[in-house]
Amino acid sequence: METRTITAPFTDEVLSSLKVGDIVNVSGIIYAGRDAVLPKIVDMIEKDTLKDTDINLEGSVIFHTAVSPAGVGPTSSNKLEIEGTMPELTKAGIRMHLGKGALKKETVEMFNEYNAVYAVIAPVTALLNSKVKAKRCVAHPELGMEAFYELQVEEFPCIIAAAHGESMF
Amino acid sequence: MMTFDYNEVVAKVADTLVRAGSTFSEDKKDAYRRAIASEELPRAKWNLETILENAEVAQCNRSPLCDDTGIPHVFIEVGPNRAVTGALLSAIQEGVREGLRTLPGRPMAIMGNDKERIDMSGGISPDSDALDTAPFLIKEVEEDVLRVHVLMLGGGPAIRGITHRIFHKHSMDVVLDEIVNRTKDATKLLGCTPCAVAVGVGRSQYEATALMMEAMVYGDFGKQSDMEQYITDEVNKTDVGPLGLNGKTTVLATFMKVGPQRASGVRVVAIRPGCCFEPRIASVEL
Repeated sequence: METRTITAPFTDEVLSSLKVGDIVNVSGIIYAGRDAVLPKIVDMIEKDTLKDTDINLEGSVIFHTAVSPAGVGPTSSNKLEIEGTMPELTKAGIRMHLGKGALKKETVEMFNEYNAVYAVIAPVTALLNSKVKAKRCVAHPELGMEAFYELQVEEFPCIIAAAHGESMF
Repeated sequence: MMTFDYNEVVAKVADTLVRAGSTFSEDKKDAYRRAIASEELPRAKWNLETILENAEVAQCNRSPLCDDTGIPHVFIEVGPNRAVTGALLSAIQEGVREGLRTLPGRPMAIMGNDKERIDMSGGISPDSDALDTAPFLIKEVEEDVLRVHVLMLGGGPAIRGITHRIFHKHSMDVVLDEIVNRTKDATKLLGCTPCAVAVGVGRSQYEATALMMEAMVYGDFGKQSDMEQYITDEVNKTDVGPLGLNGKTTVLATFMKVGPQRASGVRVVAIRPGCCFEPRIASVEL
């Protein structure tokens, strides 16, 4: 299948060009977090303490994964603490939520307000480990492998599962 | 008196765990190749190819197939002239710990007392080898062998798995259709399809689950009984497909073990919708 590489953080132009069913390789700087840390990131947004870090959510990606010695791989994005934090994280600048599993219709509609998308990535840890070029913990290190990480990645293979109000689910 | 080489057992079991967590069996690879050839939807084909490519990389690097490396489960076959001692079980336990350090396993053992382990307030151990095995299953076999199977069971299928009583109404079809319907619901939510569905039918929750484990141990992707094929075919009509993104391949195969049954109207059925990597299993003779 035809694939193209897009580099995070994304411009509005790139996001507008993405369609449901597109297969893309995601490169660049992305963030990684899952159910333990994402509500804490939302809390930092609400308390305006994110500015005290070097985290920049604008146009960026959150990959729903732990970062452990075993590697990275998507957890279900429809977990309450993950899907439930998508509105605030999108409003704060995140433009691609990367994980697996079906999302609610209202979440897909919310993405459309911000030109944001949802992409699915297979749990192919061995393959993804070879594509993670650097990683560092950027918030809540007390959560260990479930802390908030910044990853530098090369060509993560993804499928656009929701964009512009449309969804595969 | 110890009648075995402790270090040899530890090394063999550790290697078996690493293979379980990093290797697709040849029958599983063949099943993926058949599924790739049969899929018409490009993204379904691409998803299957990506999963198979991941398996090749994992096997080559002896690295985890999935970041949820799973909870270690041990199934032991014991022949008529072989013995299982407490010392041997200890050596197998140490082999599991060594395997978890080597793979490496994802550190996911929760620390603390009963309450703390339930609500996770005890924190997560940073050590891969802090993960205890599930209770061992030991099966008497005719072959004069002492064989250890290590299975690594992931969290997604545990969330979607079911142990349930079914009133059979004197019809096998009633039981099979209930299994099919529950598996359909589970695969829609799993996210990590295609599945290898494991089913045990017994007289109690314990027995059904033990039979389900046995089905995973002896299952072969290339051999399906009529009942297994029926379940596979029916669930594949859902169009859930690989990664839940549509396609023909929601289930690659079903592994079913039917045990002795109770003289009553109920059958206890354990169903595990194994993810695209399961069963993660490897075996060794001691």
